[in-house]
Amino acid sequence: MKIQRRISTGITNSRARRVAMAAAATLLAAGTLAACSGGSGSTTSGSKTLRVLIAAPQEGAGKALQADYEKSTGTKVKITVVPYDQIQTKAILDAQSGANQYDVIQYWYTSVGALAQADALDDLTGWVDKDKDIDKSDFIAPIYNAYTQYKGKTYGLPFDGDTHLLYYNKKILADNGVKPPTTWDEYLADVKKITDANKSKGIYGAVMMGDKSAFNIGSTFFNRLATFSSSPIDSQKPDLTSPAALAAAKSMVDAAPYTAPSPSQIGFDQALALFLSGKIGMMEAWTDLGTFAQDPSQSKIADNWGAVPLPAGAGGKTAAPLDAGWALGVSPSAPDQDAAKDFVKFATSKAENLKLVTTTGSGVDPTRTSTLESDKYKSFTPVVAAALTQILGNAQSWPTSPNAPKMIQSLNDNLAQMLQGSLTPQQALDATEKAWDAL
Amino acid sequence: MTTAAPVPASADGPRRHRLIGWALIAPALAAVAIIAAYPLVYTVLVSFSKSTLGRPFQSWVGWGQIVTAFTDGGQLASILRSLEFAVPAAVLSVVIGLVIALSLDTATRGGRVVRVIMLLPLMTPPVMAGVIWKLMFAPTGGLFNDVLAGAGLVTEPVLFLGASPAAMICLIVVDIWQWTPFCVLLIFAALQSMPREVYEAAQVDGAGVWRTFRSVTFPLVLPSLVTVLMLKVIVSFKVFDLVFVMTSGGPGLDTNVASFNVYRTALQQFDLGAAGAQTIAFIVLVTIVVLPIATWRSRLLKAGSRA
Amino acid sequence: MSESTMPAESFGRTVIGRAPRAAARRRGGVSFAPRWTRALKSVVVVLAAVFFLLPIAYLAMVSFMRPDDILSDRVVPSGLSWQNWSSAFDRFPVADYLRNSLIVAAAAMVIALLIAIPANYAMARLRAGGKNIMTVIVSAYVAPPIVAIVPLFILVRKVGLMDSLVGLSLVEGLMVVPVAIWLLDDFFRNVPEEIDEAAQIDGCGPIATLVRVVLPLVAPGVVAVGIVSFILVYNDFLIPLMLSYSESTQTLPVGISLMQGGREVMYGQMAAASFTGMIPVYLLALFMQRWLIGGLTQGSVK
Repeated sequence: MKIQRRISTGITNSRARRVAMAAAATLLAAGTLAACSGGSGSTTSGSKTLRVLIAAPQEGAGKALQADYEKSTGTKVKITVVPYDQIQTKAILDAQSGANQYDVIQYWYTSVGALAQADALDDLTGWVDKDKDIDKSDFIAPIYNAYTQYKGKTYGLPFDGDTHLLYYNKKILADNGVKPPTTWDEYLADVKKITDANKSKGIYGAVMMGDKSAFNIGSTFFNRLATFSSSPIDSQKPDLTSPAALAAAKSMVDAAPYTAPSPSQIGFDQALALFLSGKIGMMEAWTDLGTFAQDPSQSKIADNWGAVPLPAGAGGKTAAPLDAGWALGVSPSAPDQDAAKDFVKFATSKAENLKLVTTTGSGVDPTRTSTLESDKYKSFTPVVAAALTQILGNAQSWPTSPNAPKMIQSLNDNLAQMLQGSLTPQQALDATEKAWDAL
Repeated sequence: MTTAAPVPASADGPRRHRLIGWALIAPALAAVAIIAAYPLVYTVLVSFSKSTLGRPFQSWVGWGQIVTAFTDGGQLASILRSLEFAVPAAVLSVVIGLVIALSLDTATRGGRVVRVIMLLPLMTPPVMAGVIWKLMFAPTGGLFNDVLAGAGLVTEPVLFLGASPAAMICLIVVDIWQWTPFCVLLIFAALQSMPREVYEAAQVDGAGVWRTFRSVTFPLVLPSLVTVLMLKVIVSFKVFDLVFVMTSGGPGLDTNVASFNVYRTALQQFDLGAAGAQTIAFIVLVTIVVLPIATWRSRLLKAGSRA
Repeated sequence: MSESTMPAESFGRTVIGRAPRAAARRRGGVSFAPRWTRALKSVVVVLAAVFFLLPIAYLAMVSFMRPDDILSDRVVPSGLSWQNWSSAFDRFPVADYLRNSLIVAAAAMVIALLIAIPANYAMARLRAGGKNIMTVIVSAYVAPPIVAIVPLFILVRKVGLMDSLVGLSLVEGLMVVPVAIWLLDDFFRNVPEEIDEAAQIDGCGPIATLVRVVLPLVAPGVVAVGIVSFILVYNDFLIPLMLSYSESTQTLPVGISLMQGGREVMYGQMAAASFTGMIPVYLLALFMQRWLIGGLTQGSVK
């Protein structure tokens, strides 16, 4: 009975209400759709905002560049920061899927081949050669060649010249009567000694980055590969069948048990935190570690650390393995190509590079000879500068061919399994070689 | 379950109603088409082709990729890992859920409080659950290791997520943490809706606790248990967030379950064709596992309604 | 649909073997069960409560710990501070992430309900779709979302809804439609046909019947399913990860995953951000728990 009453009195109201709601909803949907499809994605007109994709470790640099560029040119810059292990996916996804969210892309140099082939980067050769301000020859040669070249053409400009040094904690080494090692055998002995004596106190001889991301486990392996090889590493397809490769893999496995717990879970962020808190004797790391180590707000080891070139393997010599390393490129779908290029030129210029490498927290390292040899840099971080100049003559690059992303991932997978114990070093290298041949 | 009878036809006849019916259900069908049918068709097509993320359908490769997905050691392994994760996680959740549901007594205030507490893991986004447990499992500074070391039980940090099979076990634990409350709530409701008379009869017969459970409770609650099991298995096969946050498939590849493997192939290697093939293999696996459970369930439900 | 009726709760006690006489008592009545079962039950319940609560309590603690303590071996922190909270909000757009999560979840819930309710009615009353339609719809939910990622990415981009709250809400709303329909099914089928017939006699067409008559009756179920949908969308990770790029659209789970992979360990901030994201949902659950538990359990398990 109640229901019938409700029905008879309520019908007209409800129908009108429903119609009104439906109309409102449609209007709302249409309105937002219109607004959104106009607003997001590439702009065809309107205010000029440069959209820049930046990797998280260079977030400091990105923000500084944003401020500087806006100040000097008035063009607005929008920075998107992405974790280092996702940036390659992001950049390639953006380019290959046509989403075109960015005008300027910070890319990991190993993907230069893949990005160029996928038409995700503009060919900048003509522009770079013509524009004298860029001063191509000032870039450190091995870095420039590795970071920007594909099939003889230039696809970007170096932004952050990364390589590894061996950092050590002065006190821990001195307390244990150990000197910074010059060979990997010495390294192993030193690490064992320190760890055995100190691990009850939570102090370890070294920390090894074994996290599966390429920057971590890949760097750890490549550091050894570069310094065990007597001849330069082929940047299209490194030789994994050589004795140097096997020695490199083995030295990882040998040292791993004596390093801080669970290398396979340690990435750069954890390793850095451990080292800066004074718990680690030695660490292979990027050159800006030197600036962090001196920053009292993050570091407990200010003035208590040193850096030397990486140890060498038997038959090899010390080298500057190009681990990580970033360049800036222009997206072919950027609506304003000139503005994007101008930003790239600005960000990689002598002035900016020098400024960024002498700013704590920027995450940027020298890409230009002028920066490397400048007094400002040398006085900012003398230890690192000295070590760098020693090794950059023997810089070794990772693969940069279009297959490089796949090659690197399969190498990392096998290395991770090796580190964890399911593969022997020989098996890991063989499996990777097989996978590479199939590509 | 009441069955629905069609609304009595008006003078327009059932045809008008049927048209309206289809109109009402059309948006839902469209939704299913967009989020399920279209992706499925796309996946099938792409797995027959060589495709990268930016250049799909470059060329036709026939069955090659699909065969690889079913036969390649690595791919098979990831599918088995999904199985290895989903089945124990589901079964344990249901069993533990049953135990807790049986112990729950909403009459007391404690019981009600516990029911509310149990909502919390369900509400927690899996990403955050992963973050929390990753912190607890961490080798340095993690809660468990700190407690173990502090109590003097271990001298070296225990590797929870950094060793196998511990890593997979830990993932299962987190999944159980997150989903057991779901099972508890559903099973509890089922328990509450069971007929009293059977129990009273059993009691009069002098049956003890265990006997009552085995012969009376369990058979009655079994249909609901199987329903919950089916739901839970489906949910567990979908796991992605936990792996992404906690292990990235590691250590090595030990927690590289099928869903994560597809992600890696598609978005880190950009090989869309292979990813499509792997997806098909994965769907086949899920169907193979879920279908028997679903059949079992309908059989139980039919038997139950006949009784 | 109340939480526990008298026969039911007393039934709960008889399940573990208490005397049937207890069934005659109301809430809080004395039970005659063997003591060991009661003790066992209490132990189980306490263990369960600890197990479920511990990680959340730990998360709260971590969010108040100083960076030193987080990586150290101490179980009890040396001191508490708010710095993670301020740091999380300063360095990361946590407020934006939270806002996006709430908007997307709410919008998706509305979309899903708007689609599901007519569909459920049509299936329950008008025999739309035939016998197997429910299986088809539910099977759409069985496949892991990873299957749909790339095709949806391409589709959304084509339609121009990439990196927009509208696009994300639409996709998420569509994705929970199967769940909503499945959960609502029993509620709709439990409405007696006599009510429909009465409405018919009054001259209502099917749509009017739905809105004026059936809907108010299934309202509790709708609320419960709405909450479930809200939570499912709120917690989602993979879709927002792929379809949103900037902080104007990224949701909180995505935002938290972005806090890793920088130079520093951000556990404290991640904890603070996580907690911020969990609080609205917890509050929602607490206030709505009666609806939630009742609706959820009534609807799905029979």
